[in-house]
Parts: sequence; C-alpha cells; structure tokens
Amino acid sequence: MIHDDHSALQSRDQRERFSRRRLLAGAALLTGCAPAPRLAGPKGRAAVTIVRAASYTADLADILLRGVTACGLVVRGRRILLKPNLVEFDSSTAVNTHAAIVAAAVEVFTKLGASEVRIGEGPGHRRDTIFLAEEAGYRRGVADFDRRFIDLNRDDVAAVDGFADEARFYLPRAALGADVIVSLAKMKTHHWAGATLAMKNFFGLVPGAIYGWPKNRLHYIGIDRAVRELYRLFPRSFAIVDGITGMEGNGPIQGSPRSAGVVVMGGDLVAVDATCCRIMGIDPNRIEYLRLAGMLGHSAAGEIDQRGETLASVQTRFELPAEFRHARLA
Amino acid sequence: MVAKRQQTVSISGNSMSRLDFLESAQNADGAWGYAPGRQSWLEPTCYALLALSARNGRAFASGWERMRAAQLPSGAWPAAPGMREGHWVTALAITLHAAAGVWDEAFRRGVGWLLATTGGERGILVRAAHFLRPSLVEFDSRYGGWPWQPGTSSWVEPTAHTLTALHRAAGHIQDSRLAPRIRMGERMLLDRRCRDGGWNYGNRRVLGVDLPSYPESTALALMALAGNPALDGPAAEVLALEQWQATRSRLARAWLSLCLRRLGAKTEALPALGAGEMDVMTTAIEALVSA
Repeated sequence: MIHDDHSALQSRDQRERFSRRRLLAGAALLTGCAPAPRLAGPKGRAAVTIVRAASYTADLADILLRGVTACGLVVRGRRILLKPNLVEFDSSTAVNTHAAIVAAAVEVFTKLGASEVRIGEGPGHRRDTIFLAEEAGYRRGVADFDRRFIDLNRDDVAAVDGFADEARFYLPRAALGADVIVSLAKMKTHHWAGATLAMKNFFGLVPGAIYGWPKNRLHYIGIDRAVRELYRLFPRSFAIVDGITGMEGNGPIQGSPRSAGVVVMGGDLVAVDATCCRIMGIDPNRIEYLRLAGMLGHSAAGEIDQRGETLASVQTRFELPAEFRHARLA
Repeated sequence: MVAKRQQTVSISGNSMSRLDFLESAQNADGAWGYAPGRQSWLEPTCYALLALSARNGRAFASGWERMRAAQLPSGAWPAAPGMREGHWVTALAITLHAAAGVWDEAFRRGVGWLLATTGGERGILVRAAHFLRPSLVEFDSRYGGWPWQPGTSSWVEPTAHTLTALHRAAGHIQDSRLAPRIRMGERMLLDRRCRDGGWNYGNRRVLGVDLPSYPESTALALMALAGNPALDGPAAEVLALEQWQATRSRLARAWLSLCLRRLGAKTEALPALGAGEMDVMTTAIEALVSA
C-alpha cells in the first residue's frame, strides 16, 4: 500500500544523503540552503478553493461543504481521519486549529455520508494530549469528541518501509487504515520551515511513543524531507487550512495572531500549501518542502485551478520569521 | 506485537482501586497498552509493574516475565515487545529492576546500554553547526544527556528517567563510566533549565526567545536532580507546588504529586478513579503516589 517506485524520487534521495542539509539536520539548523531545481510535477491540474470566513462564528459547516464539494472530494462510505493541528495551548495567541473548524468538519463529513469520522493528533511537545484538547476547547466544542478521538502518540502502530533512509518507520494504525486523512491545518509561519500548513501538519501522525517529544528523528531526517516523505506515504489526503486567524512572525508557537479571514481547501496538498503561501505573501518556491514535493503535486500558480475567492482579493501579508525574510513574495 | 485480547474495563462508581484497574487492564501477553486492550508497550508496562510490585501477585509475575523477555541482545529494551530498536524506555526497565531488587546480568546489560548511549548533539557535525549559529537553539553542547532513540539529540524526559535509573543502579554496578555520565547528565539538565525555573522538553531558548516550562517535565527533572547541590531543596518544592496548583493536566499533576512526595512535602489525596478509566500510564503513576 505504501511502497513507492518513483525512480526519480529515489535518485533524489540518493543525492540528499550527501547534502549539507543532511549534515546539519538535528540541530534544527536547516535554513539557508542553496535552492535545488524544482522537479517536474505530476500531469494535470489541481483544484484549490478559497472561501472567506470573517470569524469563527460564521457558518463554517456551509463554508467547508462548499469547499469540499467544489474540489470534488467523495467521502460516502469512507473512513475519514481528521488531523487538526493541536500543538500547545496559549490563550493569548492562535497556535491550534480552532475547535469550530474541527466541529464543522465532523458535521460536514458526517453529512456527506462518511462511514466513520475520527479525529487524531499526536502533539510534538506535550504528553497529555487530552489536556491539550480540553484547553483548546475541542472536548466541549466538538460533538462526541472523546469517542472520536485517538491520541496518535499512543495508538497501535505498524512498520512501513521506504520512509527516507529508515530501515523501518512506525506509523499509527488509525492513520494507515483511514481512507482519507483530512489535514485540518492552521495557517502559520514556521521558524524552521518557513510556513506550516497542510503537509507539515502530518508531523502529528508520527507516534511519540516511539519517536519521542519532540519527534526528533524527523529533524535528523531533515524537516523538509520528512514533510515530503509523510505526504508521499499518505497521498489519500485532503486539506482544510484554517486561515481565519493564523499566526505570523516567530511561529509555529511563539508568533502573533494574524487574521487572513479565509479557509483554503483542496485535494492536492502541495497546491493548497503553495496557495496558502501566496496568500501569506510567501514565495512557495522558497519553501524547501514544497520544492521537494514537486513530484507529488502542483505548486505552480499556472497549474492550479483557483476556485472561490481570487488570490489577489484575500492576500494578507504575514510577518515572516527572520530566517525566512528572503522568502517574501515579490 | 499487537495484543489480540480486546477488553473493556468497567468501573462501577469508585469501587475499583487503581491497582485493581491495572490488573484488569493487563493484556493476555502479560504486558500493558496505553489503554486497556490496545497494543502492548514497554512504557505503560514498566509503570504498571512499578505500581503493582507492592502486591507481587500473578499480574506482576506475568508482566515481569513479559518485560524481561522483551530485552534485546544489545541489552536495551524496545518501545514495544517485538520491536528491534533500543529505546529510552530501557531507563524505566532498569528502575523497575532496582525496585524489585534484581541486579542480575539482564540488569547489568541494560545499564551498559544506557551508559553507551548519548545524545546526537555530541556529534562533531552538530557541534560545529551549533558553534556557527549558537543563537538558533541555545544549549551547552559539552553536556550530553540521553535521547528518546539512539542517534538523536538529548531531551529532558529521557535524561531525567535515565538519571533516576542510574542513581538507583549506582551501588550495584562497577563501571567507570557511571559517575561521569551521571555528572554530565545532571549538568545537561541544569543547562536546559528555563528562565522561569522549570523545564520543558529541552529547549530553554530558541532564536533569542525564552520558552516556558512544562509542569510534567519540571517534575521529572526535579526528581532526577534531587540531592544535586545546584538545586535548592525548598525552592524546588515551591516550584513543584506552584506548578501543581497551576496545571489542569492529570499527567502533570500525577508527576508533580510524586515529585512533591519525594521532596518530603504533603500532597492532597488523589481523587477516586473515575468510571470508564482508559489511561493505564497515568493511573499507574497515580498509584505510585499512593504507594
């Protein structure tokens, strides 16, 4: 199921083993590498929908339903795993995917006939996941939260091969067994990766019971490469990015709230993330994991069918982390 | 690797004690999952065995046997029975051996593995990178602790658990590496202390910004450093008490209660176990507070 025979990707991996980036990995000193040429992407085009939402009191179920439908996602009879971004809790800022987005996603995918809608997350710093869910308002704001929720840090696991250079890599059965993983990401800047959006959100799929808090193995593999590898293992994905209030500056935790007033959706996570970058005023070609994921999706604006709002009408200039000022969209 | 027996632990009212819950949550293979009926892991198994050691009944005996059988040829224990990679949980297995008074070859091989394992930040490439950009993540790379997994960096929680294990092993191991590794590990923990006095996962300052501590990590670090002259006893107790009062995390409160007890402070009685309990690890730590 998760074996991959893209020879181009494998040869790329061979080259990366000897790169400066690999040598510096682990100390999170991952910025400032020379850009590599973008690999040719898949054929066809990607659909990305941008819908305005001024606040979390808007009719979010309707907004999500419009986006999911516009992107042609069919969920009837499928097992859905919603993967919010639940990291730490700080009431003064906007670290996590808002509970109202999670609640709306449960409502929409249930309404669309999914056979199962579960919620899973494996936070990377704090061990008491239920406590985080409580603080973030998930337990009181999301219908049947406790019954639906799986702490992915502690879930049963299975070994997969072909993840970077790892002989075996363990992933939660809840994720491996889902028909569609919906990345309910937060629109945030990230001081090591530039931006954390739908693809980077998959770090929370990796089980802390094996890889720890933080999941330091991913840093040694290389953050950008690990982001690409996780998306390669979970291509049956859909993205809903919470950009109603995102985070700018020193994200993903210590930054400041920044309202973009949008929800961005699509089935090609590379295209969704590239679109979010453009909304935030970030050049997606300067985000290394998007470059590495070029074989897996569409990041070029000309390859994305933009639906809903136009990019120009929703662009919101996010303050960038100091390490990524060079990534400002011209 | 996956325990096949599915089970539901039913607690009527508050009638079930924490130890009863742990016994009822044991998997058929003798180990425990993080929740009843789920895959067996060494971490909840070690905590459950530590808690059940006072009873020394059949559950403890079969769990002990399963734990011992999971040891790898390297001397390490894996995250879960059947896995092949050594893991930080070896520290818990050593603490468990010490609690049981078992100082045999398996114990010695486990301690040997811990003494041979250090954080990847001690490697020349990472040290060179840190030297070039020290403000990215501020730490003193001379002091190595223990990683979650071999080949990755040192972090507070595995270092704290390993120090606790090595302190308990100290009188039963003749190894010239032991005392220097304990000293270095303690220095590593002290170096990673946050400006607010506590500890988080292990980064006190990133990109010039001070990071806040976490109550659960603070409790573990304080217990690992107990007796260290750099740590003032009364101040440690005040810090633990303040964090206990401030947090609503059940896990953090369990660790802090254990920490306060070890520091000699009186702690409030734990609330009765609720109906539908599913958290094996936290329940076991709470049981240790009551022991």
